[in-house]
Amino acid sequence: MKKLGILSFILFVVFAIGCSTPKTGAKKFTIAVIPKGTTHPFWKSVNAGAVKAAADAKAQGVDIDLIWKGPLREDDREQQIQVVEGFVSQGVSGIVLAPLDSKALVRPVEEAKKAGIPTAIIDSALESDQITSFAATDNKKGGNMAAERLGQLLGGKGKVIMLRYLEGSASTTDREEGFLEVMKSKFPGVELISIDQYAGATRDTAKRASENLLQRFGDQVNGVFASNESASTGMLLALQDINRAGKVTFVGFDATPQFLDAMKNGQMQGIVVQSPFAIGELGVKAMIDTLLGKPVEKRIDTGVMMITPDNMNSPEAQKLLNPPV
Amino acid sequence: MSIEPTEKLTPMDGSAIAKWLTIIAPFLGLIFVIATFAILTGAPGKYLSPFNIRIVLSQTVIVAISAIGMTLIIVSGGIDLSVGSTIGLSGVVTALGINAGYDPTIAVMAGICMGGVVGFVNGAVITTLRVVPFIATLGMLGIARGVAKWIANQEPVNVAPTWINDLVVTFPNPPWLLLAPGVWIAILLAIVMAIVFRNTIFGRRAFAIGSNEAAARACGISTDKLRIWIYTISGLFFGLSGVMQMSRLRQGDPTVAAGTELDVIAAVVIGGGSLNGGQGTVLGAMIGALIMAFLRNGCQQMGWANYVQEIIIGSIIIIAVAFDRLQSRRA
Repeated sequence: MKKLGILSFILFVVFAIGCSTPKTGAKKFTIAVIPKGTTHPFWKSVNAGAVKAAADAKAQGVDIDLIWKGPLREDDREQQIQVVEGFVSQGVSGIVLAPLDSKALVRPVEEAKKAGIPTAIIDSALESDQITSFAATDNKKGGNMAAERLGQLLGGKGKVIMLRYLEGSASTTDREEGFLEVMKSKFPGVELISIDQYAGATRDTAKRASENLLQRFGDQVNGVFASNESASTGMLLALQDINRAGKVTFVGFDATPQFLDAMKNGQMQGIVVQSPFAIGELGVKAMIDTLLGKPVEKRIDTGVMMITPDNMNSPEAQKLLNPPV
Repeated sequence: MSIEPTEKLTPMDGSAIAKWLTIIAPFLGLIFVIATFAILTGAPGKYLSPFNIRIVLSQTVIVAISAIGMTLIIVSGGIDLSVGSTIGLSGVVTALGINAGYDPTIAVMAGICMGGVVGFVNGAVITTLRVVPFIATLGMLGIARGVAKWIANQEPVNVAPTWINDLVVTFPNPPWLLLAPGVWIAILLAIVMAIVFRNTIFGRRAFAIGSNEAAARACGISTDKLRIWIYTISGLFFGLSGVMQMSRLRQGDPTVAAGTELDVIAAVVIGGGSLNGGQGTVLGAMIGALIMAFLRNGCQQMGWANYVQEIIIGSIIIIAVAFDRLQSRRA
């Protein structure tokens, strides 16, 4: 035990030599970007967008030091709070945050503001008026687009199932409401036979929920919409299992290689895709503008696109499906 | 590695100094961590500013309070893997209590008692069903987490603001407190438990069953009863941690603190606790918790990636224990 101190010191010096970077004298802004996690491809695209925004600013003579750090344990709200607090005491110029929870992150963000550090929110909303801007997908619009696509393919008639994602998830609820809104107003001939079932948090729960739904409605359903990646995956797997994939018109949300294959095979007719790259880029750009004293839009739409078997190879679609990471 | 002068001294002087060094070794470790980062960040004034210290202390509260309870369990030769789940469950119970319209004080008591109940069940399973603590609490890890999600209806329980929200803030209210109330509570509890360990029959018996359970039983200690008490009391500490966690999140989150038990065990072990039982101090565990908190804070200020701090903390745990073993073998 008694050598612990000496040992930790040696360890530190080793790491210090290995890891410390020399500080430059140039005056610049330090912006901390805090994602929900660091290993998921979605966040790697957000990171790429953030880096581009910083590079663009640099080209215009504003030196940006970008720090990228997620919670130590992914999806742990407490860990994300600690990261925010750490950056506040470090005294960064501004924070760009994708909050894991719309309420739990309010206190650290407002304490940052009190300490003179502005926060721009990306991806998911934060219930606070102390933020500079909110850059995210317009989820309702994404839902609208899904309904347009499904309604048109069905010719305005037939029986449709909507599989919801998870109780209390704000972004997917917006998609679902957007879907129902357009379905009901523009395609009154379509019969919505199930709109109240939830897929649950994982692909596994989603598959089980889909199986139960198809067990009941499988032989009469004409069209399906699922509101996120795991719900869409579960539904796709369930349709494949009972050999109905390709016979049912299926519009999903988010992009995975599996969905692209399904579109090539005619098992999916469309996916609504968000742009994590734009979320990172526009979120960081908003923070840079704030720091420069320029006016910033409170709500920034980072765009959604309906990707179909026809347009999936177009340059616009490829930019979203294979973002420069 | 420089060797301390103790080994060159006469046995009597040597053992006295060695004992003293054992007590201050974690302290030295903490000072080295703080000093190293103060130098590395190139801005000691900022790293050691009251603002940053306040943030780190507030961040330590949850692990520190749990580490007090864990010290009791580890000293008695046990282990508890269900701490993280208990924190989540207690936080949810507290939040549900507030939402049900109870006075916040009652809700806090309910949260703490929930921890006690989980601890009691752990102790009962270990003693009556003869399931080893590792397995009993591993089972409880799943059960408590499941119950938390169940009663929370699988989503965070949001609560209206009460005084509970101010327990672990960075800017204490009123400001003359200097540190958040939760930090003071943790310090107070640590002092109380240090006295309990040193000066009460209960504390000495906890050490006794950890050192040699058969001997303790032969001396007339009712070891089963004692063990149930130990797990129950420790559970109360985990429950209080759950209240603090709820305060920080301002919601009862049934999924929070997964894996926190490992931080808590690490704090006790870095502070000189032995998983073989019979060894460990509350002070050491507090220092262990602070070492990890300052490490995290420092690594972040250095801009190091998460994997760097995970590797560092992991290494420190192994080194701390390895040298503890080495020393006890030599003795």
